[in-house]
Amino acid sequence: MNRNSLFDSKAELGLVWSLLAFVLVLPILNMVAPEGSFLHVSSFQLSVWGKYLCYAVLAVSLNFLWGYTGLLCLGQCLFFALGGYAFGMYLMLMIGDLGGYKSSLPDFMIFLGYSELPMYWKPFYSPYFALFAAMWVPGLVAFLFGLLAFRSRIKGVYFSILTQALTYAAALLFFRNDFTFGGNNGFTDFKFIFGQEFYDPSVARGLFWGSGALLLGVYVLLAWLLKSKFGLVQRAIRDSENRVRFSGYSTTHYKVFIFVLSAMIAGLAGALYVPQAGIINPSEMWPTKGLDIVVWVAVGGRGSKFGPIIGAILINLLKSYTTREYPESWLLILGFVFLFVVLFMPNGVVGLWDQLKERFSKKRSASDPGDEILKSN
Amino acid sequence: MMITNKFNFMKTLYLLFSILGMMGVVKADETKAREVLVALISSSSKSEEARYVEDLTELGDPIIANVVASWRVGEISYSKSQDKVYIVSGFETYEDLLTGAVISPAGDRAIDRPSRKLRKKLSRIVDFLDLKSPDLEKRMAASRKFGSSQKPEFIEVLREFEAKQDDPEVAAAFRESIAMSLLENGTRDERIQSVKLLGDTYVFAARDNIAKILKDASSGETVDEELVSSCKSALISIDGRQDLLDIVGTLFRGLSTGSVLLLVSYGLAITFGQMGVINMAHGEFIALGGYSVYLVQNYVLKHFGESSVMYEWYFVIALPIAFGVTALAGCLLEKGLIQFLYKRPLESLLATWAVSMIMQQALRLYFGAANVSVSSPEWLSGSYDFGGVMMSYNRIALIVFAIFVVIVTSLLLSKTNWGLHVRATMQNRQMASSLGVPSSRVNMLTFAFGSGLAGLAGAFIAQIGNVGPSMGQTYIVDSFMVVVVGGVGNLMGTAISSLGIGLVDQGLQPLLGPVMGKISVLFGIILFLQFRPGGIFPARSRSLDD
Repeated sequence: MNRNSLFDSKAELGLVWSLLAFVLVLPILNMVAPEGSFLHVSSFQLSVWGKYLCYAVLAVSLNFLWGYTGLLCLGQCLFFALGGYAFGMYLMLMIGDLGGYKSSLPDFMIFLGYSELPMYWKPFYSPYFALFAAMWVPGLVAFLFGLLAFRSRIKGVYFSILTQALTYAAALLFFRNDFTFGGNNGFTDFKFIFGQEFYDPSVARGLFWGSGALLLGVYVLLAWLLKSKFGLVQRAIRDSENRVRFSGYSTTHYKVFIFVLSAMIAGLAGALYVPQAGIINPSEMWPTKGLDIVVWVAVGGRGSKFGPIIGAILINLLKSYTTREYPESWLLILGFVFLFVVLFMPNGVVGLWDQLKERFSKKRSASDPGDEILKSN
Repeated sequence: MMITNKFNFMKTLYLLFSILGMMGVVKADETKAREVLVALISSSSKSEEARYVEDLTELGDPIIANVVASWRVGEISYSKSQDKVYIVSGFETYEDLLTGAVISPAGDRAIDRPSRKLRKKLSRIVDFLDLKSPDLEKRMAASRKFGSSQKPEFIEVLREFEAKQDDPEVAAAFRESIAMSLLENGTRDERIQSVKLLGDTYVFAARDNIAKILKDASSGETVDEELVSSCKSALISIDGRQDLLDIVGTLFRGLSTGSVLLLVSYGLAITFGQMGVINMAHGEFIALGGYSVYLVQNYVLKHFGESSVMYEWYFVIALPIAFGVTALAGCLLEKGLIQFLYKRPLESLLATWAVSMIMQQALRLYFGAANVSVSSPEWLSGSYDFGGVMMSYNRIALIVFAIFVVIVTSLLLSKTNWGLHVRATMQNRQMASSLGVPSSRVNMLTFAFGSGLAGLAGAFIAQIGNVGPSMGQTYIVDSFMVVVVGGVGNLMGTAISSLGIGLVDQGLQPLLGPVMGKISVLFGIILFLQFRPGGIFPARSRSLDD
């Protein structure tokens, strides 16, 4: 492969092309193939796959943070949910007076005794503002938290625990009814999006294409960043932050930037997820969700560009299959799969091939001693 | 059914009396009371009723209370043809009120209920009866009832009874009741006296009345200086007492919340703080401890029965079992998983998270998704009245046990050989093992000990809350926070931070409500760690990467 190419190998390029083909073809099948035919894809299935693509974006954003910078964020679900809430606010306002109380206010606000929309809800009549907020609200939260945390050099496990506490506190806050974000129930029963009927097949197709475009766009953006000098510094921070700092780089600035970028990507993924799932509620930011994302990345292969996408889709396919067939054993299966991956497959599914190759060639050539030193750091 | 249950006690009492009646040892007063009651129930004229009520007031026999209670809930039937009044109890047993004998009822019986006006009068009679009750609590409650009604006609009665009281506490209660009534009905001097008395004895019930007197007295044309000043000082005294009680109550609740936090996080302070292992399955160990107690309880219930001495003390047996079971689980986890991950904290976090998922689901499959409840033994239920602040015994036990755990752990670590080995291994694993410390065994035992503490925490939480498969999830974030705030590697720091967080949490709750209080505490901790990343007692190290 060309040194200047964005992609590391032919295999990676192949994967990207097949992802592109998948994203383009699935909605066309939904549109063209007649119902009942072997090739037909229902709008429901399209939404399910659209959700998986959003999960994949989320996993990619965490991988950018964890796999390439060494910051294990257990609160990535918070940014995802914040983005989802921002776009959900637009969708709630689009219900108009078709809600249970026939008022222009969302139902839960009537229930709380509001007679007028709160100030901060008003701009969300515009879908573009909502998408903008879906990026910047998580970005702002990440900026404030990241600045404080990285300035006082909180890192490693402490960073993970703090991000978990952050998402836990936020979830408790969103569970409250008087926080004006729907409390327990969150937002649901959407009616219109971009002037279209919410359950129109064209909406499902558009959202699916949007999610695919986001995934490919994010993939290319991050591939480009990783190829640049920025990406080198990023990986250097992961491998030995102190050496980077002593070389004159402000690692705090790099880390804050990476954290904010990854939060914004997660927020956009959340914004596209909500219309496809049809609901957003505070359970999306519960700490276990944050760990779920970590599982996707670890199973797919952290520190590899395509791994998280495979991990997110694979685990969610497995989840939808097991929860249907063996609902009680889903957590057991997930637990054992994850345990196996953590212990025996440090590079995940993507790294499995290399791992096996290395294993069988080990007897022939002793590994480079330099590797060991790098790994022990 | 609900109502009859409530009066079961009354019925038992009544049955007792009716049996006595059949045995022919009915006292003269009781016979008379029965006659009057029958006449009252069967009468239909208002003037007659009034006379009978007066008669009953004078008679004051305990049977009146029982019959009145039955009458109010519709357990009295009246047959016109035979002119008989029955008390219906339990399985349609009819007893003749006049004689107390069980008889077969007449066909035209109909349930009889007192009119609203009559009910009020009757309840007054019952209160009068309570004034004479041998139960001191009942006597005081009745006197307070009369006092707070502030009707002038009761003052004399109360005074008369007050003189007869032997118990100083009861006599004081009567004096307070008289003062309460005098606030409204007394002369000026009597009112001042009453205000002073009520202020000195901190009677909260009188606060509004005194405030009203103060308002009237200071707004009139001639201001009664003495009355106003005594009212003011009484109010200050009552409010001061109220504030004090609030503070004591908050302190107690804070201590008990802190003790829960301390128990759930102390094990973590050892496994995470001392050994550097992130055990996300810590919460499931807590649940394991809770379920151990549940199993022991069921075992004892099955083999020894509910009224046995064993059942009374099952919790004491369950504690070491809960410790043992979770310590064993911790031992297995360390041997099977964690010993391979000492150098990779992030991986130990992920692996133990997987274990936590597996354990949680296994508990759910075995015990069911619903919470199970564990009953408190007799000696742990109820509460202690500390001058108006109710302190429940199981919370007190929790605090005492938390102190016990802190002391025992620190003794184990500082005075025993094992503790020496633990400290050596934690400071420098390789150096310790090269000096002959069996570090892998020390690691295993330390982890088992930390897990066992989680089990003990679960056992105690089972006493104050429910046991469920996901109960550990409630505590895991909190306990990590406590350890980080206290300073990783410092057990004293964990103890102090858990008490501090508990007190702040309970102090904020009355102002912000439980959920907002918790959220503020979490955000407060996150902010606190920005300024003191190492916690209250940061670990000192020369290493750059620590």
